[in-house]
Amino acid sequence: MELEETAKQHYTDTERQQIFDNEFMPHINSMYNFAYRLTLDQDDSKDLVQDTYLKAYRFIDSFQKGTNAKAWLFRILKNSFINDYRKKSKEPSKVDYQEVESYYNSEEVDRQITPDLRVEALKDMIGDEISNALNSLDVDFRTVIILCDLEGFKYDEMAKILDIPIGTVRSRLHRARNLLKEKLSEYAKQMGYKTA
Amino acid sequence: MSNPDQSRMKQDCANKRECMQMLQLIVDGEATPEQKDHFLKHHLEECLPCFNNYHLEVAIRQMLKSKCSGDCAPQELVDSIKAKVIRNLAS
Repeated sequence: MELEETAKQHYTDTERQQIFDNEFMPHINSMYNFAYRLTLDQDDSKDLVQDTYLKAYRFIDSFQKGTNAKAWLFRILKNSFINDYRKKSKEPSKVDYQEVESYYNSEEVDRQITPDLRVEALKDMIGDEISNALNSLDVDFRTVIILCDLEGFKYDEMAKILDIPIGTVRSRLHRARNLLKEKLSEYAKQMGYKTA
Repeated sequence: MSNPDQSRMKQDCANKRECMQMLQLIVDGEATPEQKDHFLKHHLEECLPCFNNYHLEVAIRQMLKSKCSGDCAPQELVDSIKAKVIRNLAS
């Protein structure tokens, strides 16, 4: 449950309450957004956030006061999602990363991955296009974009939250962004923007 | 970064792939100051595809942030979590 191997703490009830109120609760909006983007369902996201906070409270002695509470909470939420929600949801099966990463590393990729998308077209997407494009990505790709671009986590923090090497964070992120751009170029085309 | 004269820039980039990787490191705040300096001050001003890509990457991140985050958690959820934790402390 812990992000770093730290000695178990022995907090008093007052300390627990303080940590919970001052270090955990301030992240509730980010946590809710993360849960919603993962489950794409309001009720599921409420349950997921509540489960996560109760787990965080239960394991509060594994949390070192003053360390990165947000990353610690995100990791618990991500694990709860995988264990409790992903199984029952209708998510398509996990992508084969071996395949994805060898695809990413091939030279072939350069020609295909640069969809011609323009900033002007993007700025005209004033409705749900961006949100829908993000939601359309496979959950593993969606996750890295949420962590990096929405929540501003660094690569090393993402590696810990997701339990994957930093190199995988980078390649997954790169691939996720290309998929997002492909999706956005489709919308741009539908909006009448010509691609060169 | 200044606004360079686009007609005088390179219209094609010989290292598109490496540049794209560097560009993402920079936008993600993971590049070293030297890498950042070199790429933004030297390469970007003379290479049109990279100049465009850079601005696209920045715009996508801004759009993502403004469109896909910023919603508040429902108050009932916040209240319910707090109540459960307090009950826990009391027991």
